[in-house]
Amino acid sequence: MTERPLPSSSAVEAATRFAHRRLTPEELQAYVDAPVSEAEREEVLRLIRWFKNRYPTPADRLAYARRSYARWTAHRPHGPRD
Amino acid sequence: MGAVAPPLQSTDTNVMRGSAFDEISFFSAIEASGSRALLIGRRALVVLGLPVLTADYDFWLHAEDIEKLNEAARPFDLEPNRGPNDARRSGRYVLENDEHIDVLVSDARTTVDGIEVRFDDLWSRRVSVDIGAARVSIPSIDDLILTKRIAARPKDAEDIRLLERLKEARDD
Repeated sequence: MTERPLPSSSAVEAATRFAHRRLTPEELQAYVDAPVSEAEREEVLRLIRWFKNRYPTPADRLAYARRSYARWTAHRPHGPRD
Repeated sequence: MGAVAPPLQSTDTNVMRGSAFDEISFFSAIEASGSRALLIGRRALVVLGLPVLTADYDFWLHAEDIEKLNEAARPFDLEPNRGPNDARRSGRYVLENDEHIDVLVSDARTTVDGIEVRFDDLWSRRVSVDIGAARVSIPSIDDLILTKRIAARPKDAEDIRLLERLKEARDD
């Protein structure tokens, strides 16, 4: 597999600023009100069912979230915290 | 909804572990301190059943309870980044070491579309959740959605959509 160069720190900062910007009321409403396809709805509901069945207690879910984040950070080159 | 964490393969649970921070003991210490602290942010979504990716802990704390929370956090080597009075003035502070805990300290905040969200209202409608031996207070789903409308970042919009689906799942 070909190694791709890492983005510059300024590019990462710019992307972070963009991702963390505060939306206008109109933008937020547009996001929230965007139609949900039946496939998307079913996918999310399936994921919720899987998660709650696989990790039935809140403690299980929180432990999963910590493992999941650790796995994610172990595989990313760099970047800000969520 | 790309922020949803992918399912772990069954073998991953034995390989990848989070840091040594004892989350349940930390929640127990908060409960024992008597501080009025609401777990908000994505960690609250995880508690409710949404598998989202998150790094930090977010709490909304009653402004009178900063000292109590800081005292509860001290055994975990979590240090506040500013003093209580400064935190009250600025409306937020951070407890951190290897962990990062954002603490909102404010009587009320306003959503991006101008709705006032009062801590006391959220606290009165809070839900207590058992986390192992600890109990954690989180806002109701509708109130969590309101808190997401305060920050109003793209990921908050995504989370609102997920919370709406979670409500649907509960209605089934």
